[in-house]
Amino acid sequence: MSPWSLTKKSLLLAALALNATLNAGCSGMMRNYDSELQSTTQMVAANQPEQALQILEKNNPDKQKDLLYYLEKGELLRMSRDFSASRACWMDADRVVRQWEETAKTDPAKLLGHLTSAVVNDKTRPYEGFDYEKVLLTAKIALDHIALGDWDAARVEIKKTHEREAIIAELHAKEVIQEEEEGKKRNISRDIKDLHGYPAETLNDPQVIALKNSYQNAFGHYLAGFVYEALGEPGLAAPGYRQAIELRPDVPFLEQGLKDLDTRINARTGKTDVLFVVESGLAPGRHSMMIPLPIPTVGIVSISFPVIAKNPSASYNPASLTIGDGSSVGLSAVTSVDAMARRALRDELPGILLRSAIRATLKGVTQKKLGDQNALLGLAVMVAGVVTESADERSWRTLPATISLGRVALKPGLHDLGVPGAAGKPLSVEVSGRHQVVHLRMVDRGIYLASTPGASHGALLPPADHGNKTQEASPGKSERRKNDSSKPTKEKNP
Amino acid sequence: MFEMNRNLQQAAVLALALGLLSGCNSVNSSSSPSVGSSAVQYGDAKAVETVTNEFGSTDLQTIAESMTRSMLQSSVIARAPGTRPLLTVAEVKNKTSEYVDTRAITDTIRSQLLKSGSVRFAVDAAAMQNQTEELIRQNQTGLYNKNTVKKIGKMEGADYRMEGNIVSIVKKTADLQDVWYKFNLQLIHIESGTIEWSDEKEIRKTSKR
Repeated sequence: MSPWSLTKKSLLLAALALNATLNAGCSGMMRNYDSELQSTTQMVAANQPEQALQILEKNNPDKQKDLLYYLEKGELLRMSRDFSASRACWMDADRVVRQWEETAKTDPAKLLGHLTSAVVNDKTRPYEGFDYEKVLLTAKIALDHIALGDWDAARVEIKKTHEREAIIAELHAKEVIQEEEEGKKRNISRDIKDLHGYPAETLNDPQVIALKNSYQNAFGHYLAGFVYEALGEPGLAAPGYRQAIELRPDVPFLEQGLKDLDTRINARTGKTDVLFVVESGLAPGRHSMMIPLPIPTVGIVSISFPVIAKNPSASYNPASLTIGDGSSVGLSAVTSVDAMARRALRDELPGILLRSAIRATLKGVTQKKLGDQNALLGLAVMVAGVVTESADERSWRTLPATISLGRVALKPGLHDLGVPGAAGKPLSVEVSGRHQVVHLRMVDRGIYLASTPGASHGALLPPADHGNKTQEASPGKSERRKNDSSKPTKEKNP
Repeated sequence: MFEMNRNLQQAAVLALALGLLSGCNSVNSSSSPSVGSSAVQYGDAKAVETVTNEFGSTDLQTIAESMTRSMLQSSVIARAPGTRPLLTVAEVKNKTSEYVDTRAITDTIRSQLLKSGSVRFAVDAAAMQNQTEELIRQNQTGLYNKNTVKKIGKMEGADYRMEGNIVSIVKKTADLQDVWYKFNLQLIHIESGTIEWSDEKEIRKTSKR
């Protein structure tokens, strides 16, 4: 065989390898989610959720949709005030998560298998969702049920959240043990400190470290307390408030929820107990960063790691809302999705480091062997490696950065609602029933109000000094309003 | 050769018979025909559950049985033959951080007490809305035969109020988790405000992590 024919064959092989890699990239492997979502989130910030939806659809042309599509679409539909479609979409997402839960319960080894998978890049795996996303999903579905007036269905979702948290906790414990063992066996460091050049400060924020874990959030548990309380189940409301306090012991607002529970249960003030849920900003995105890593027997190999940059939208969360004639309700930031996303990456990074090192060793050895035989082929494989080697940037991006809560007793009727610093005319909210949830979403200039007639629950009892026994017994269920809440009570802010 | 075939035939017949018998057994074990895969199984609802160390079905059943037995032996109920005191269920406060449905516990206790025939129960605060709605509907809508309409103002006031609480202490180490529950129930004489009966049930669960 002539040297020329060998080079030609090598070139052909190299071209085929590169072609195969690039083709694979086109079919989703090379999906750059960070840039893909940029125009969608820009539309959300410009108060144009319908256009954001169109962009999302354009970016997901395949018939087979993934979990991420349903998560993002549910949020955009909620912003468009189509609560019914949003709920249906998130239910589809929940079906995917429930399949994952089933596997976690019956065959956890299957889920833990990927931890030490040397061949597969993280981004080529089907999107399973981060644990904090799975937990927030059920809380979000509960909010949709409430907007549509189905508080009993909201209770189901809330109960599902508790069970989901328990499954995640158990799997997480197994995951840590398996990664530790694998790291020791292969003599690979799992310490982020050994990742020179990685912006560790983005993950070492005190707010991130203070979190108990990446998936439990005080908002979800407080909402659970509120829903159980509205449904007349103080025995279940108490642990909801208590767990919220345990997760954020530094927030006095949460303590008040538990402290006043007994008083509220028997209170007859003639006012509606209104919970304001204010979501602000957007969850942070992940992008790739190449970091050279020394691999034994191979040398220095550049590996791509996910990084969460500073998220400017996380810094704005309103401290209060004005109501009607100038009175205001204080808001407390109880959950930082931004910090949860960082904590998730912080917890995940040792695993990513382990998998990347295993993959780099294999890749380096293969590259070296081919390079020794034929320099051109070695180079082609190296190029293909660089193209495919980028970090997994996928995450639920339309989630808020911060969730704040406020609670106030209001007289039934129409109230003007003002958001400090927000442009446009004031929003108005119709208050009724014994309990009500008013949901506000703020992204830059975009303010989305989800205050529907269905979001109230229970018959309002008259004040104690005016009441009589017949009035006390006035039916609540018949007054529970299940109107078509897809109709807005007030137009969105321009 | 022929002998061998005969042996094989006999073995096949035996295997078929055994198969049919075992099939019959499985069919006989259930009185109704069943559909679906064998992946789903029914279990004993009273079986001891130790899947996790969170509050579970066995804890609920143990607490309810213990409380019912103790209450039925108490002087309030056991020494009042023929009177059948009237009870009502108030709240059992959940002082744990776990989502323990305390109403499910009091529902079971109430069912077991009612089955004994020694007590009667008045509707509690949680069920009052349905009760009053029904009375209002019968009396105010004009839809019902007057002879069968139940009059307003005839509801009976309970003699005793049943209330209590559940507390827990959770301790964790790297490889061990210990949970201790204490369920306390009281029977309070409504008119006098005296506690006439009280009992506790403690449960300890330890698991390796």
